[in-house]
Amino acid sequence: MIIDVHTHPIFYKAISEDTEILKYRKEQFGIFKQSPSPLESVLQEMDYNGIDRSILLPLDLTTQSGGWIVTNEDVKHIVDLAPERFIGFASVDPHRSDAAEILEYAFRDLGLQGLKLNPSKQKFYPQDDILKPIYELCLQYNRPILFHAGMSWEPDAPAKYSHPLNFEEVAIAYPDLRMCLAHFGWPWVHETVMLLLKYPNVFTDTSLLHMDNALDFYKQVFKTNMGPLWIERNLNDKVMFGTNSPRFKAKRLLPALKAMDFRPKTLGKILGGNAQVFLGERGNERPWLN
Amino acid sequence: MVKLKTLVIRSEAEFQMIKITEEIRSFIADCGVQNGLAAVISAHTTTGIMINEGLECVETDIEELLERLAPKDFPYAHAHFLPSYGATGSNSPSHLKSMISGNSCLFVVQDGQMISGDAQDVYLAEFDGPKSRKVYIQVIGE
Repeated sequence: MIIDVHTHPIFYKAISEDTEILKYRKEQFGIFKQSPSPLESVLQEMDYNGIDRSILLPLDLTTQSGGWIVTNEDVKHIVDLAPERFIGFASVDPHRSDAAEILEYAFRDLGLQGLKLNPSKQKFYPQDDILKPIYELCLQYNRPILFHAGMSWEPDAPAKYSHPLNFEEVAIAYPDLRMCLAHFGWPWVHETVMLLLKYPNVFTDTSLLHMDNALDFYKQVFKTNMGPLWIERNLNDKVMFGTNSPRFKAKRLLPALKAMDFRPKTLGKILGGNAQVFLGERGNERPWLN
Repeated sequence: MVKLKTLVIRSEAEFQMIKITEEIRSFIADCGVQNGLAAVISAHTTTGIMINEGLECVETDIEELLERLAPKDFPYAHAHFLPSYGATGSNSPSHLKSMISGNSCLFVVQDGQMISGDAQDVYLAEFDGPKSRKVYIQVIGE
């Protein structure tokens, strides 16, 4: 089973009828030369790559640029079109005064299964007190958070907010809050590894292809920058397959990941098993990590 | 007289040879142009328009030749993040296969019919699928 934990449905035709909204999305996300695809094409691409389910991520930029890259309602709409294939996450701008109400509505009424936050694009520090009500709601509803971490390709998104060390105090203060520091926190891979190693509630994903082709970049990061057996020996419960589609594509990342010579059991966890733990669909098979 | 039709084709794999001969033949017969030329043009940079014999063995040989000429594993210059795109393509083999196969083809139109050899089939060749693709058929004549 393969779960892509990191998909931005920016070009899904069902939510792309308004050209002004599409223009805003492209500018805010920093992606161009692509056009909306019908759901049939999206599902066909998932089938071709063997992806069973994808986590869909919105982003609320209300106080930063007056809009959403994708709204919570957009995500709910797409999930309803293919509920067996999509897992919808919510977003909320932590700076808005009604942040808690927006998030509770998304969890309780829209049925969204987790939260996406981007400290760089939304311009907040994860350990800031304004996040407390948001973290507490996630705990109350047993919802995980997928944080952008490390470098962002989006315009006006300073990396200082998303440095992996900013998340350590959150991991300490909320040990039951499952969180993913996406992109391995690149370029701060060692800092991310330290958090993955130390804190049972911290995960990461494989959505990184900032240079080279996927095979070369994965070899560089997973086998050279990191010790070649670090994931296999130490982090096999912590890494989840994610693409960051449409920026990086599954058809490039998956073959590269499969070429990393992980044990079949480890690869299975990376491709889907760890995502199930992150999502709360099942417990960790290694209870000493909990 | 100029007549245009756009084919929208959803490919199903990274490499796929999709026959579009009948769609072209049918449009030419219905468009009203009696004598002229028909152009078949892809809107993309990682597809090709090919004419060849429509046999599975020929398709296999074409695929294997293109794979030898533009293999996946090679230190391509194009393998990097593209700020103008906002994405990492890593699809240099697809561009090179498109360059090798060409982007268009022409047929003679005579007495309202597409003139082609008995062995000729027209393919949209997908090199970077699965994707939704557009092919333009433009018939120019009288």
